[in-house]
Amino acid sequence: MAELTPKERVMRLLRKEPIDTMPFFSGMGMVVMPGIEKAGVNFPTIHTDAERMAMSAIWSARLMDFDCVVIPYDMTMESEAVGNTISLYEDSEDILYPTIPNKMWSTLEEVTIPDNIWEKGRLKFLPEAIQIIKKEAPELPIGCWQLGPFTQAGQMLELDLMLKGVFKQKELVANVLDQLTDMIIGIGKFLQDAGCDYITLREPGVAADLLSPRTFKEFIQPRLTRILAAWESPKLLHICGQTEPLLAMMNECGADGLTVDIKCDVKKGREILGSDVLFMGNVDTYTMTCDPKTKKEQTIEHIKGIIDGGMDAVMPGCDLWPAIIEENMKAAVDTTHEYGAKPSPAVGRL
Amino acid sequence: MATKEELIEQLKNGVIEYQEDEVKEAAQAWVDDKLEALEGIMDGLAAGMEVVGEMYDRNEYFVPEVLMCADALYGGLAILRPHVPKQEGGLNAQVVIGSIQGDVHDIGKNLVKMMFDVAGWDVHDLGRDVPLENFVEEQLRTDSEVVAMSAMMTTTMLGMKKVIAMIKEKNPNVAIMLGGAPVTKDVANLFGADGYAESAGNAVSEGIKMIGRLREMQKK
Repeated sequence: MAELTPKERVMRLLRKEPIDTMPFFSGMGMVVMPGIEKAGVNFPTIHTDAERMAMSAIWSARLMDFDCVVIPYDMTMESEAVGNTISLYEDSEDILYPTIPNKMWSTLEEVTIPDNIWEKGRLKFLPEAIQIIKKEAPELPIGCWQLGPFTQAGQMLELDLMLKGVFKQKELVANVLDQLTDMIIGIGKFLQDAGCDYITLREPGVAADLLSPRTFKEFIQPRLTRILAAWESPKLLHICGQTEPLLAMMNECGADGLTVDIKCDVKKGREILGSDVLFMGNVDTYTMTCDPKTKKEQTIEHIKGIIDGGMDAVMPGCDLWPAIIEENMKAAVDTTHEYGAKPSPAVGRL
Repeated sequence: MATKEELIEQLKNGVIEYQEDEVKEAAQAWVDDKLEALEGIMDGLAAGMEVVGEMYDRNEYFVPEVLMCADALYGGLAILRPHVPKQEGGLNAQVVIGSIQGDVHDIGKNLVKMMFDVAGWDVHDLGRDVPLENFVEEQLRTDSEVVAMSAMMTTTMLGMKKVIAMIKEKNPNVAIMLGGAPVTKDVANLFGADGYAESAGNAVSEGIKMIGRLREMQKK
């Protein structure tokens, strides 16, 4: 059935050109335990070494038939690069992503983002990881991502400083967001120059169950728009949580496509956006891919529901949790490829 | 001088309108007038927070406003709580609370903690990024009736399942509350928890409803 390589399929979809069948891909983490094990490495080390990151990404995609690889995996690279210390949980038996347990800045005034931050810390090895993937797996498109400025602020500072500051310290909040916006533009260009095929701006911290649509319009939308205008296409915008009140504004930000999670009603979302907007999501990344009690048939129905609801590609609504149930994960991908042979609202078929 | 009714209104409206200084002034006046501190907490501060919860449910307030209201509430609580006599200071109940290992976010956890603070529980706050076994150890050490855990991300949610199993094995009577963005009612049931809140906002909503029930109990 497959006529196109995953890379051709995804890149054509992102340009809204006809494809052979619907891809299963993402703008966010797609690394899974079978791939990590096949690469012969353990979880804490895939974040700190270009080769391990690249090979765990490639094997995850190959074993599960994903239509992409996505790097990096964790959200702390930028915060580490400004001088914070990460916790890797190397002694834990559980899968734990790196975190910043203590932030060095305790006030909004202190935030100062260094120039050329991409030359610091782990950010500087991402081009090497991209090159390894290009060489080893030329058939796979490489997705990279950046957190949006508000969510990134939550990695650099205590998030409640930002949340309260929206009312009490507007100028300081604006200053932090502007600095981070410049940083995100710079890192995105650095990743695009290094050869990433598409980039996703993910701003999960601003959904309508946290911030008001008014605050979104005042503080968030202008900066997301500025970032997306500065990056090359293809570029996606992802927000998780309650997004229906935000979709119209998200669509004004200038992305080539929008992605959402399970809390967004796909049919309502499609109604709001119309049939011309590239709209993708919204696989439930715990119940459908990790819960041992979920039967394969339920996962298949979930995927068919997403496609029938009017999505142009099936995408996990968040980072895939690495401890997947393989049978269900494969069923999700296979169903996407088989059931997605028909055209979607914004993308035709060859 | 303000009447008791006026002070109640000041406490309540100060919380609703997140005016921390006004709440503190009203609380100090309440103490100076030798009024019953518990009544000020319940009918002033907690009643105000109940309105905040309703406004959140109606999408009039969002998390930033709720956080500021909570600050105002704590401003008053710090003044009033020391004046509540021990025997009527609450339910003599204890809770262990924390954000689970791998999770450095604690907004939801702190909002739930507020509910227990208002109700006069002894709160054993383990903070955030808490290793799983610490929840079990702290529950055993304090013999707390409730263990409340929060996870902001799917990536840390699974740790909760282990903690619940460990606690229930040692002490099946402990009530377990889960909260956090990725936690749904199905997940909470699946993990064997006794209660859940799916987001910081939902924690506020649920927590405030619990405060409401406590106020009703107090009146009986």
